[in-house]
Amino acid sequence: MKRSVEGVWAVLIIFTIFAYLLGELKLVNTLLVGILLITTFIKGQLVIDYFMGLKNVQLRYSIIPTLWLSIVLSSIAIAYYLPIK
Amino acid sequence: MNKALSIKEPYPPGDFAIWIVIYIELVTFGLMFIGYAFSRRADIALFNTSQLLLNQTAGFIDTLILITSSYFIVKAVNSFKNARGEKIQSANNLASKWLLAAILFGLMFLVNKLLEFSAIFSQGISLSTNTFFMFYLLLTMFHFMHVSLGTIILFNIRQRTKKDGYSADDSRGIETGGVYWHLVDLLWIILFPLVYIIR
Repeated sequence: MKRSVEGVWAVLIIFTIFAYLLGELKLVNTLLVGILLITTFIKGQLVIDYFMGLKNVQLRYSIIPTLWLSIVLSSIAIAYYLPIK
Repeated sequence: MNKALSIKEPYPPGDFAIWIVIYIELVTFGLMFIGYAFSRRADIALFNTSQLLLNQTAGFIDTLILITSSYFIVKAVNSFKNARGEKIQSANNLASKWLLAAILFGLMFLVNKLLEFSAIFSQGISLSTNTFFMFYLLLTMFHFMHVSLGTIILFNIRQRTKKDGYSADDSRGIETGGVYWHLVDLLWIILFPLVYIIR
């Protein structure tokens, strides 16, 4: 699907406002942290695909930042959700 | 499906060397992000109370600034898509304007961050205050250095646009500076929720 760069920018801004409101209104809880991490993944992937221009580049190059994003955000989720003994 | 639509570019935009730098930066920051997340588990109360001393609004404004400046860079790079012959001069003029906007936003980020650091240091907080502030200062100052370098790179790229230095067939330099700036944006996109919001 072809996205305009203005549309990508708008999605990034909307997700950033969502994150800010979570913090500012003190709504952060275990469920919303999960949603926040998912929106962060989407934001990161949009930057990788449409700003860095990796959407139409061979997979061996475009997969590296996506893997990085997945590993980092998954690790943050594990650190957050793993029960503390 | 139309085969033409599925053809992928063989290499990413910009010089290949910048991608080596980007991969190294991703690993470095990635390890610090994961280190922060797991260190938090050792003393969640300390991290949560220390986080209250941060200015979330400043972090939010920083994020808006970087995302918007990244958008300006995309517009600057896109100016050269069909820049051949007589169109080269107007494309360079247009890119120069987008780059100026991105540079000004980069400077706004740096000023905003300096004000934030000043507020933190005025409270007597330093790298050795506690683990939270050690990570916070390390991550944000390291990132600050990257934004500073990125702003200098954009300034130099803009100087070349003033000499009509780029065209559709020679836009690798601006693409290289652009992807570096997007890296800075990508790193902040994770840093903001991780350090300022998640508790």
